[in-house]
Amino acid sequence: MPVLTGKELRIVGFLCNWCSYGGADTAGIGRFNQPTDLRIIKVPCSGRIDPLFVVKALMNGADGVLVSGCHPRDCHYAEGNFYARRRLEIMHNFLPIIGYEPERFEYTWVSASEGQRWQQVVTSFTEQIHKLGPAPKILGPEASDTLSLMQAAL
Amino acid sequence: MDPVKYLKSADLMSWLEELARENKVFAPRYEGDAVIFAPFDPKQEISIKHAATMPPKKTVFPQSEKLVDFTYSKDPENLSRILIEAKEILPKGTTVVFGSRPCDVRGFTMFDRVYLAEKTTDVYYKARRENTSFITLACEKPETTCFCHWVDSSPSDASGSDVLATPIEDGYVLEPFSEKGQKLLTSSLLENGERWILEVKDVHENAAGFLANAPDLSQAPQKLLDVFDNMEFWENAAAKCLSCGACTYLCPSCYCFNITDETTGMKGTRFRSWDNCMSAQFTMEASGHNPRPTKAHRLKNRVGHKFSYYPAIHDGVISCCGCGRCIKSCPVGIDIREIVQEAINHEPAIGKE
Amino acid sequence: MGNPRSESNKGDQVKFQEELKDNIRKALPELDVVIGWCGSFDPLHATPHFMRREEDIDKLEISPLSVHNLATYLPGLRGKKVGIVVKGCDSRSVVELLQENLINREDITIFGFPCTGVVDQSKIKKALGGHTGNIEFCDMSESVIVIKSEDKAYTLPMAEMLADKCSSCRYPDAVISDYFAGEKIGNKGEEDADYAAVETFENLSVPERFGYWLKEFDRCIRCYACRNACPLCVCRDHCAAESRDPHWLSQENNVRDKLMFQVIHAYHLAGRCTECGECQRACPVDIPVLMFKQKMNKEIRDTFQYEAGVDPEATPPLLSFKMKEENITEKVW
Repeated sequence: MPVLTGKELRIVGFLCNWCSYGGADTAGIGRFNQPTDLRIIKVPCSGRIDPLFVVKALMNGADGVLVSGCHPRDCHYAEGNFYARRRLEIMHNFLPIIGYEPERFEYTWVSASEGQRWQQVVTSFTEQIHKLGPAPKILGPEASDTLSLMQAAL
Repeated sequence: MDPVKYLKSADLMSWLEELARENKVFAPRYEGDAVIFAPFDPKQEISIKHAATMPPKKTVFPQSEKLVDFTYSKDPENLSRILIEAKEILPKGTTVVFGSRPCDVRGFTMFDRVYLAEKTTDVYYKARRENTSFITLACEKPETTCFCHWVDSSPSDASGSDVLATPIEDGYVLEPFSEKGQKLLTSSLLENGERWILEVKDVHENAAGFLANAPDLSQAPQKLLDVFDNMEFWENAAAKCLSCGACTYLCPSCYCFNITDETTGMKGTRFRSWDNCMSAQFTMEASGHNPRPTKAHRLKNRVGHKFSYYPAIHDGVISCCGCGRCIKSCPVGIDIREIVQEAINHEPAIGKE
Repeated sequence: MGNPRSESNKGDQVKFQEELKDNIRKALPELDVVIGWCGSFDPLHATPHFMRREEDIDKLEISPLSVHNLATYLPGLRGKKVGIVVKGCDSRSVVELLQENLINREDITIFGFPCTGVVDQSKIKKALGGHTGNIEFCDMSESVIVIKSEDKAYTLPMAEMLADKCSSCRYPDAVISDYFAGEKIGNKGEEDADYAAVETFENLSVPERFGYWLKEFDRCIRCYACRNACPLCVCRDHCAAESRDPHWLSQENNVRDKLMFQVIHAYHLAGRCTECGECQRACPVDIPVLMFKQKMNKEIRDTFQYEAGVDPEATPPLLSFKMKEENITEKVW
């Protein structure tokens, strides 16, 4: 999509199969306008998400990562999202030490019927990432590949 | 041979800058608290007072190197057929390593017997080895962990090196030991060094004098085979081993590698990367069987390979250069000298049939 | 440990060491092995010491050089009757291993002693001008460490040579032990852990932080000494780092993979790490890898008021949940 080059950032979304993926579908069926930066990966449950997926995505070039699951008490597997909440909250707060703004990663809950909420989440998260701009990138196998360019940019 | 040359200490950086015009130059410098061989940068101080934390092994045998780039594509004539196109990536350019130590470079002579053998020559290794020159610094004083004199070497051993630099007052005396070395000594910054040749001898003898008598290792190959099946011996020796790869990766004479295809979509690269016999995966077979299941088996291999199996097929040469990094950098202080000596002095249990 | 405390002198050190040896002598007949420390390749280093026979006990030496966390060996010796000498911090790793059922309490005999801190070899190296290759002599008291190297004598203040973890230590005495030699110093678990260094680092800008790690990890040789020295890296020969499926890390010598591994290590230790610092001490190229774990622990403490390695019966925070989390504020859109 050359039209969007430079305008779009790369956001990875991990959505649970039972609620949020359905919610995104509902938003689509309802023809709600949404920014197109997000790429969705469907997972069985937010509890399936290894928080390291978030870091792996960022290190491989994502500018933002969004996780969305069922609302607390609504998990298809009863308690997957309760565990997810603890793990993801810790990862969210851990990110700054590596050198990523914590706002590059958010987790939230969207049910299958909440098409409108989905639209709102995607829109405001995309805005949030655009405000931050592109994430720091690793540009080659050696540190100097990246550092020389980082210094040039500063 | 060209005459011996002399370089003033004050001209060292300019000389390296000169060399860096036509070659990639590596010199040791501080990175954090470790001394690492890094691409020479005239703006950064080099650190050559003592042996570096890591030997310059990576200059000839990189931690990982690309061997082949490959691309898969579908045959337009027959879509069920996958075509593969592969492109060999041979290393290019010349490299000069400054500030290596005799043991560091002697390690490559252990590589040579394996990678430059008549029957099979490793083209990647050969290209780098031939295009890399070593300006080695003779040691003025060995460290506690040094034992090059145990393994037929010395603090001024030039084997594998192209130039041997001996520090004397206010400068270095540079002796060429190969054609490559001679070519490196043509700079106008260098003057004739013949008149310091006696001082050089003094430095070499003085350094050797610090090293106490070496034990006789001629029995080591056989004695290590004798304890091969004695797992109690090896379990004791390896009790404190953590099974990490620090000893092997810091070893100038450890040359084992792993091959991995890293593929993304239809494209990929075949990498060769360092591997080490301390790792369980090193001998893990596809069936799940591992012939070296414990750290005792693995440490036995490391010691045995260096002091017994390698000498057995390479004219008795011990595949250890005595740099002592495996002792100094081992997180738990395993001392390979102790293990070899224990094997030599080991008496088989009496009464055993 | 840098906290001002009663000036116990060298005589006391020798006394508890004898008491400790007596304890081990008493227990050894019932045990397969007792792990402690003894002298190593030079006077400035100690090494783990595996005592199987009575005469091995004589070589035991406890000093500020007893840096190694011997709990790392315990899971590998499961099934054997093992005695272990522990510093306060080491004992927390034992607690953690017990909590996770990786060792059996009845098979382990724990020997505690009042630890006054262990040295940081890299600080000593710096104090000696970057070179500790020719140490001729080393003697230590509570307040100073005297070293002779290259015919020069150095008298270094002990407090400045101690590992960082020791200057803010809250558990100088073993938190769990069967025998305790010497007088307890007194644990201060109720005090907050000190994360000032982490906070200072987090005040740097994003490119500064990111660039710092790239520069530091560039020299990583992927020997995994950090992992293997870690008492809680219990997957041992089955680590994600070397797995091809899932393929977390590539075999390329890439700073991305080196950095990613440290994040994996820190996250796999979330709520488990006791900050013994073995990862950083083991690193042959001196990469400051401990900070990631300290940050993780800080977050675990702030969110769940939990500290690892204190209570063998506790449930780690990431293995439990509450319907309503008091300290988690979810984002409002």
